[in-house]
Amino acid sequence: MVGLKNVFSFFRPSKPIVPFTVLFKKFRSILVKNNRILELMADMGDKLGGEYVFDRQYIVEACDRLNDLVFKMISDLCILNQQENVDLFIAFERIQHEIQEELEGRHAFPVTKQTILLEDLEADSNDLVGNKFATLGKIKNILDLQTPDGFVITTKAFFDFMEYNGLTKYIEATLPPREHLDDDFLEKLSHEVRERILKGKIPRTLAAHVTAATDILSVKYPKSRLRFAVRSSAWGEDGEYSFAGQYESVLNVPSKSILEAYKRVLASAYSMEAWHYRMQRGYHEHELAMAVGCQLMVDAEVSGAMYTYAPLSTENEQMLISAAWGLGPSVVQGMAESDTIFIDRTPPYRFQSMDVASKEMMLIPKADSGTEWTQVPEALRNAPSLNAEQMEKLAQAALVIEKYQKRPQDVEWAFDKDGKLFILQSRPLNIRPKEPEKMLQYVDSAGNDQVIFAGKGVVVQHGIAMGKAFVVQNEEDLQVFPHGSILVSRYTSPRYSRIMQRAQGIITDIGSATGHMSTLAREHRVPTIVDTGIATQVLSTGDEITLDATRNTVYRGIIKELGRFELAGEDVFEDSYEYRLLRRILKKINPLNLVDPHSQDFKPSRCITYHDITRYIHEVAVEKLINLSEKYQQYHNTTPKKLDLSIPLGLVVIDVDKGTNVAPQAKRMARENILSLPLKALIQGLIESGMWETQPVTVDLGSFMSSFTKPATSTLAHLHQQGRNLAVISKEYMNLSLKLGYHYNLLDAYIGDVVNNNYIYFRFLGGVTDLLRRSRRAKFIGDVLEKFDFLVEVHGDLVVAKIKKSSRERMIENMKMLGGLIGYTRQLDVRLTNEHQVSWCVEDFLRRIQATTEVSHERFS
Amino acid sequence: MSDSLENRNISDKLQLLILDDEAIVCKRLKPAFQKAGYEVETFVDSASAKSRINEKRFDIVITDLKMEGDDGLRFLSHIKTISPETGVIIITGFATPETAKESFQKGAFDFVAKPFRLNDIIDLVRRMEKRIRSGA
Repeated sequence: MVGLKNVFSFFRPSKPIVPFTVLFKKFRSILVKNNRILELMADMGDKLGGEYVFDRQYIVEACDRLNDLVFKMISDLCILNQQENVDLFIAFERIQHEIQEELEGRHAFPVTKQTILLEDLEADSNDLVGNKFATLGKIKNILDLQTPDGFVITTKAFFDFMEYNGLTKYIEATLPPREHLDDDFLEKLSHEVRERILKGKIPRTLAAHVTAATDILSVKYPKSRLRFAVRSSAWGEDGEYSFAGQYESVLNVPSKSILEAYKRVLASAYSMEAWHYRMQRGYHEHELAMAVGCQLMVDAEVSGAMYTYAPLSTENEQMLISAAWGLGPSVVQGMAESDTIFIDRTPPYRFQSMDVASKEMMLIPKADSGTEWTQVPEALRNAPSLNAEQMEKLAQAALVIEKYQKRPQDVEWAFDKDGKLFILQSRPLNIRPKEPEKMLQYVDSAGNDQVIFAGKGVVVQHGIAMGKAFVVQNEEDLQVFPHGSILVSRYTSPRYSRIMQRAQGIITDIGSATGHMSTLAREHRVPTIVDTGIATQVLSTGDEITLDATRNTVYRGIIKELGRFELAGEDVFEDSYEYRLLRRILKKINPLNLVDPHSQDFKPSRCITYHDITRYIHEVAVEKLINLSEKYQQYHNTTPKKLDLSIPLGLVVIDVDKGTNVAPQAKRMARENILSLPLKALIQGLIESGMWETQPVTVDLGSFMSSFTKPATSTLAHLHQQGRNLAVISKEYMNLSLKLGYHYNLLDAYIGDVVNNNYIYFRFLGGVTDLLRRSRRAKFIGDVLEKFDFLVEVHGDLVVAKIKKSSRERMIENMKMLGGLIGYTRQLDVRLTNEHQVSWCVEDFLRRIQATTEVSHERFS
Repeated sequence: MSDSLENRNISDKLQLLILDDEAIVCKRLKPAFQKAGYEVETFVDSASAKSRINEKRFDIVITDLKMEGDDGLRFLSHIKTISPETGVIIITGFATPETAKESFQKGAFDFVAKPFRLNDIIDLVRRMEKRIRSGA
């Protein structure tokens, strides 16, 4: 811990200015605040799930509380480590300022970017790249569907261009107030502005950025001649109003002509029709910002459009595909005959009817640039342009987008000559029903005999899912998980990320709303309920069910009304301002970047979020306390006591209040002298389970050798020092820092008679083998702890697990189990040579720990 | 008054008014209650809600406590004067024992702290509905 060594080097042994009891109080206070901050963070994260109604006031207050706690936590540390901790305060001020800016509506808009690659688009990029490409970014980067590669010339570039050519000022000065505006004048102005744009000069930096972007793509696709589709993506486009067909797209543009095409697209924003369209819908002039996307052309064999809801009566739910040979505009702009196909909305997506048109002409890219019409070869003219397999692919992709966007979609697509499907764009389809009463038939869960269970679990992500249940028990089941099914399983697992895209919904018996899988379910907006207790008992693979993860209910059969209601609702929760605000703010609070205390980056200046700050302080505080108790033994009235055990644990105990029955000045103690409930149970579990002696099952010599040959440099040497392990205890409390070899256990626990005060906080980190094996061990620990109802978070090789408000007896059993676990995991990383061994070890551990703990005996026998 | 509670048909939808100066609360509650089978009107300012109350009888009112203009408690008093049988739920982010006590004294049916689960408030309204339907 290089950073810490520096910190400590300032602090040479001398009489502490502050009494040890005060320092210890500060240490406790840091731990309490740390837990409260983590709870508050989890609480805020839960609000994104959609189960709660919250308002802006909630966000403001939660941030206030967090600001206050983090600030006080740093202040506590200042007393404990006798430093000013300026870097931490700076990190704190920076994050607090960013949060404040978000709350005041000035969200940190990355103003410097004039172009951005599609693969770099993040979820909240509507302001930067317009709605159309923000959506495409999500389709590509979150939903993992294929879209043409490319980049976007941002709204920032638009403002720069307009400013550079004096157009911003010109329009502002020339455009009269709306009530004095007549059509003749607007027509003249429209003409003038378009002329000026087309003749406008491109700012040098913009030209350079565009060249840089095309260079990156030409390196990525060395064998192809790059040709682009240059498309508009304005603020508000494809949002509440579609602006369909208002702005121009230019197809088959070579790299050198992108800027010319760019200007044509910009100019189209000032056509008479587009200007009118905006004005009629109440858009202000300053709300026009035009980003322009440059997508690589798809060498399309067949392309077209698809509505996920055909304009049919409500009983007749189908999707509608229009398809034709060649490039898309022939279909989208209705320029040629196309095939019309009606297809089911549910697997296996059978088509109900297909009207094959006589397709005489098709649009193709010209050799150099631009497009041209050509005759469709005789043999293809009356042939259907799509086969059943393509229709299924298309149906699956379109429904994945619909499920995410929670709106029926109008999808533009193309299949290339290799049969690969590309999504070109997708916009919401307005299907406000003709018969709202019929559409909005309500379903009441109370007294409904279709209800399988209700109110059982915890809602992680709200929404409606309809489909067949698929019970997943192991890795193999995941591989055959059918598209559009609802995943049912005993536990949550981050491995489900693989099927997030295919799953309609997720229901588990056990799990927490704050785990890794829950984060993923929210990101993918997959309706999810965890911790139902009974899902795998009452649901079997193949059962048709409807999951209402808003009302926390599972129904037998498909209840179409619920699905329609969601798709026809007025607002999508995830699109609301408050949701987006909370989501943006949480990005400055929740992600953990400071994962490895041994890394060079483990320092205050690398704290990007509040989580980083609290993690750093926690780490420093524990180190500091060990340090203080060793260096200032003569200044606190309880002499550290070496605990004599049958195993070489090297544990030193500081008893702050009735934790032992030996004299305060005693320097040694035995296991029988421990009165502290948590420590007593932990040691009992560690010794009596016999886990310490565990021998490696599969000895893999290579990794053992790697641990022996690791240089014992000065920074690592202290890890081996015996007597570095410390337990600070009282009758009900224990804070244990345990370094065993290269890994590090931290346990903080309170176990007493008041159930509400009881908690165990357990953290595990590090190891000697490669990160993959250490991560397997972390996964093993996570899996075991989840079975004992801990809330578990696993980040790489870091495990954080918490349990609270359980009875004294239950907590004691948990501590015994943790004792066994600490012993069992001592050298486990070297044994975990493959994923399979993780589940084997989980079973092995559970079997062996039964003898030591009564609770586990009940649960697993 | 358009329809009186006593003569209500069991299949009639209950009339709900929701008042909260944060639009997001109305936006979330409206579809949830529509889905649960209620007729819902929402307002973001107490003045328009008040004039609507004067025109139409509502079975259940859900109102925020702290707002610009008339606050929730005054709105509650107003409803109770012109339509004593209307059930009122107070929702607030500033829940204190004092305001809760005052709300109950002025005739509120229940007092809910924000943020709350959609399910909880729907269950609460279902309980009120039962009382109204049974003529309690």
